[in-house]
Amino acid sequence: MSVQKLVSEYFSNPEAKELAWYRRHGGYEGALKALDEMKPQEIIDEVISANLRGLGGAGFPTGRKWSFVPRDTGKPIYLAVNADESEPGTFKDRYILEWDPHRLLEGIIICAYAVGIHTAYIYIRGEYVRPAETLQGAIEEAYQEGVLGKQVLGKDFSLDVHIHRGAGAYICGEETGLLESLEGKKGWPRLKPPFPAVVGLFGSPTVINNVETLSHLPRIMVNGSQWFAEIGCERSGGTRLFALSGSVKKPGVYELPMGTSLHELIYQHGGGIWNDKALKAVIPGGASAAVLTHQESDVQLDFDSCIKAGSMLGSGAVIVMDEDVCMVKAAHNIMRFFAHESCGQCTPCREGTAWVYRILTRILEGQGTPDDINSLLEIGGNMSGTSICALSDGAAMSFRSYVNKFTSEFEYHIRHGKCEFDER
Amino acid sequence: MTFEFTPENQEQFLEILNRYPRKRAAMLPTLHLAHQQQGFITPEVEQYVGRILEVPLVDVREILTFYTLFFRRPMGRHHIRLCMSISCWIRGASQIKDHLDRTMGVPSGEITPDGSFSWEAVPDCLGACELAPMMQLDKDYHGNLTPDKVEHILAEAPGNHSKADQETLRETKKQKNKKTN
Amino acid sequence: MPTITIDQQEVQVEAGSTVIQAAEKLGVYVPRYCYHPGLSVAGSCRMCLVEIEKMPKLAISCHTQVQEGMQVRTNSDQVTQARRAMLEFLLVDHPLDCPVCDQAGECDLQNYYMEIGQHDSRFLEDKRKAKKASVIGPHVILDQERCILCTRCTRFCEEISQTDELGVFNRGNRSVIDLFPGQLLDNPYSGNVIDICPVGALTEREFRFQCRVWYLRQQDSICTGCSRGCNVSIHHNPSRPYKAGGKRVQRLKPRFNPEVNRWWICDEGRFGYQFIDQNRIEQPFRRVSGELEAAGWDAVLEEVSTALEAVLEKFGPQGIGIIASPQQSNEEMHLIHKLFGELMGIEQIGYRNPWESEGFHDDFLIRADKNPNSRGAEEIGFNNDSRSLLEKAASGEIKVLYIFQHNFESEEAHELLARAEYVIFQGSNWTKTADFCNLVLPSSTHAEEDGTFTNFEGRIQRFEQVFLPLSESKSGIEIMTLLARRLKYEWPYTDSSDVFLEWHGKAYDDLEDFGELI
Repeated sequence: MSVQKLVSEYFSNPEAKELAWYRRHGGYEGALKALDEMKPQEIIDEVISANLRGLGGAGFPTGRKWSFVPRDTGKPIYLAVNADESEPGTFKDRYILEWDPHRLLEGIIICAYAVGIHTAYIYIRGEYVRPAETLQGAIEEAYQEGVLGKQVLGKDFSLDVHIHRGAGAYICGEETGLLESLEGKKGWPRLKPPFPAVVGLFGSPTVINNVETLSHLPRIMVNGSQWFAEIGCERSGGTRLFALSGSVKKPGVYELPMGTSLHELIYQHGGGIWNDKALKAVIPGGASAAVLTHQESDVQLDFDSCIKAGSMLGSGAVIVMDEDVCMVKAAHNIMRFFAHESCGQCTPCREGTAWVYRILTRILEGQGTPDDINSLLEIGGNMSGTSICALSDGAAMSFRSYVNKFTSEFEYHIRHGKCEFDER
Repeated sequence: MTFEFTPENQEQFLEILNRYPRKRAAMLPTLHLAHQQQGFITPEVEQYVGRILEVPLVDVREILTFYTLFFRRPMGRHHIRLCMSISCWIRGASQIKDHLDRTMGVPSGEITPDGSFSWEAVPDCLGACELAPMMQLDKDYHGNLTPDKVEHILAEAPGNHSKADQETLRETKKQKNKKTN
Repeated sequence: MPTITIDQQEVQVEAGSTVIQAAEKLGVYVPRYCYHPGLSVAGSCRMCLVEIEKMPKLAISCHTQVQEGMQVRTNSDQVTQARRAMLEFLLVDHPLDCPVCDQAGECDLQNYYMEIGQHDSRFLEDKRKAKKASVIGPHVILDQERCILCTRCTRFCEEISQTDELGVFNRGNRSVIDLFPGQLLDNPYSGNVIDICPVGALTEREFRFQCRVWYLRQQDSICTGCSRGCNVSIHHNPSRPYKAGGKRVQRLKPRFNPEVNRWWICDEGRFGYQFIDQNRIEQPFRRVSGELEAAGWDAVLEEVSTALEAVLEKFGPQGIGIIASPQQSNEEMHLIHKLFGELMGIEQIGYRNPWESEGFHDDFLIRADKNPNSRGAEEIGFNNDSRSLLEKAASGEIKVLYIFQHNFESEEAHELLARAEYVIFQGSNWTKTADFCNLVLPSSTHAEEDGTFTNFEGRIQRFEQVFLPLSESKSGIEIMTLLARRLKYEWPYTDSSDVFLEWHGKAYDDLEDFGELI
């Protein structure tokens, strides 16, 4: 079966970031079709039928999110493009920014026209300096050639797009954390309701979409929603980019239909486990997702199947761990990340992430106690469903899965005060 | 020592302001601009930014301490961020860190005595796991690191003697001292 | 107006109310740290989580708006477990400072722990370190380790004092409350952060290590700093006076009054109680050969009544001048009006200090008139010009001048007073006026008698007696009574409540809770 490349077609083609080349190869046709032939509501309906889901992590149906935006408030409507890509294991949006920035801009135009948006901000993580430069170049080209500005593609529709660089905070990838940061404040996520679609940026209705999600829109416009939906599986349409990393022979970005099996991704495309080792565990969707043991790893990569399997598809970051990776150290590494990135606003996350990290550190230092295992699980329970945003839930889901599924490794550390994998 | 934007940056600042309906939203781009101009953010910069954005001083400091990319003191001519996140760790980031611990001569977070490099081992994923283990040197990402490759990259950093040249310099100095004693 | 059910009790509330407000109306207390009715909602402490039917997760009651028919449970097992969990989280890095922390006894970590916690700690790590005992302003000390990051203080500085001194720096569990270096927490309302801080992170400098709060008793009172009349509680330590070093008042706290000061009070009012215990006139004095000599009440009152009678007989009521004070209570002034105005027929009664300049004022609580009862004096009708009374006393037209409380500091006043024939001064604290008096009568402060003040907008507010008058001072009401009896007038009053009943027509207990507009 040939793998369709809907958003990754131009990856590693240095010409594709030039506007002229992009247009010569069908670029901006989707946007033109939307502006010329379709009404905003039609576009929204198409996106709903396409089963396009948010590809940044939450998997929320994109068209439905757009439909929540009230158009009659008298306030301007904004688009915030989430290019904060900070979920450990995720690097797919970076590829779009580096190789195919015009596809993103085209998707932004389509979204803007559908929802009634005339100002879009691309919030790009501060570390992505070169990708931001490339994107800035594409935006300037677009303005020069009349693709953006007062008359987008020569039509009676205005759209301004600005880059807004972050400064090193994972929590600014959370929707309302992003909005707070864009407004010039600390990235402290907001209480919900109200949701950003109703009260977002500067008090106005706002759509927040991931880079990859928007990049699918041009082809959906050109080829239709049914075509897109059918490529995928029941409730997740189209393809998506998977960022494969860890103990595999060929880490990289792979675009595959929704519902592809995890084994196909790892073994067929990723070349299998490196150094002839065996698969021990795999995270299907970024550090916030529960780890799957190798027995659990034969799962379909779509949003609903992954939830059924007790984890989540998340940002599509597939992190593979071989037989010699210590699961206690893996959990420790991940909790160090969450403790570092917790914004500190609410009690369970601020205190829970730091506490768990310190317990795991102590266990790794050989000072663990048998009670630690129960404590970890209970603390995780207390961190779930009690916080302002999902960071706490993700962290808890993550470390609890290591403790639950690899209890013997934790017990080994506690009993022997050292790592059973150190010699290997 | 007060801080002020250069005339070009002043113009750039006005353009930045134009992008947003509220002044405060220009906070991060303004701080990035100041950081670019001076290399690090001092209390004088905070006061300046607070004034031009009409934001209370304490709020500027909140921003400065919340985010991690702003330097608050002069760092090395080149800055290294070594990724220690999960995928890089699986693929050997610890060994690269050990190497830097040995060869940099200063611990993570510090600056080499000659001011050429500062480095930090960061827990946040830098978004380049396919290149693991990887590091960011100033604006660029470098991956598939080995200790040798790291040395090569550092040697090639603009304005720096290669390690080999440094060795030669040291030897020359030693010889000189021998002669005069 | 939607109706909801909380713990199987129904309550009807305004649309837009939150669940915690509805619970409050029902008298159901939901534990909370970051929520304060006078500040914006932060929703960050997560202590007020409640169970709401049909919602998949527990919801914070401070932020969730009521919907018609909502079913809320505030005391289910799930809720109790969540509260314990939040409490455990907050205690994880909390320093074991109770033995040296002023907040002990009124600390919400302690209180909630005793109510729903009572768990053993399973925290085995090293606790984080941060700034302790850091003086951040003239009145406030910060301890970052004790802080639970409820952000009430930062929100106060942003929304109420609007001075933006405090912020939260860093992130995660490295977050700390602090000032921008070089700045101080010195706005006119800085002390309020001490009240709203649920723990011992922000404490009062003046009160530091002074008294354990379980020894304190409190009485309702009114601040005498300006004509706003902010409601306060006077805290004192009746059980161990020997420890207080002569300081009876331990501290003042604002009392909630939705019409006057809400939850707040300015620093000057909060910390301006020294006059109650310091610089007091502790016994009567009589000037003998130019010097003030201590005397007994009998002798002094005898002299006063004799002087008054003599002048009345020889010169009539025009020979006597009274300068009452807007520092006095309505009850005292009513008796002055009764005794001097009605019974003696004296018309020459004033109350203002003509040299008193307008003080600092703002558009929040602080008013320019630094007297608590100008309005009361106005209403009773002491409308004579004080300056002309002093001039008449200087010229000899007024033979006996009776001055209450005033501190006449100007040279002009001193010049006039020096020429006056006979001056009686009755007051609680030593003033410049006393330098020019023949007799000094020690009266009590508002903390030592019941009474009322009328604030600038005409609100009559009650203050309660906290302790007995200091040393030999007597309440203004008692002094008037003793004088009236000596002068053989019909005098049916025995205490403040009699006077109030006559003056305002009702008993103290019937006065509306938050004061009554005239």
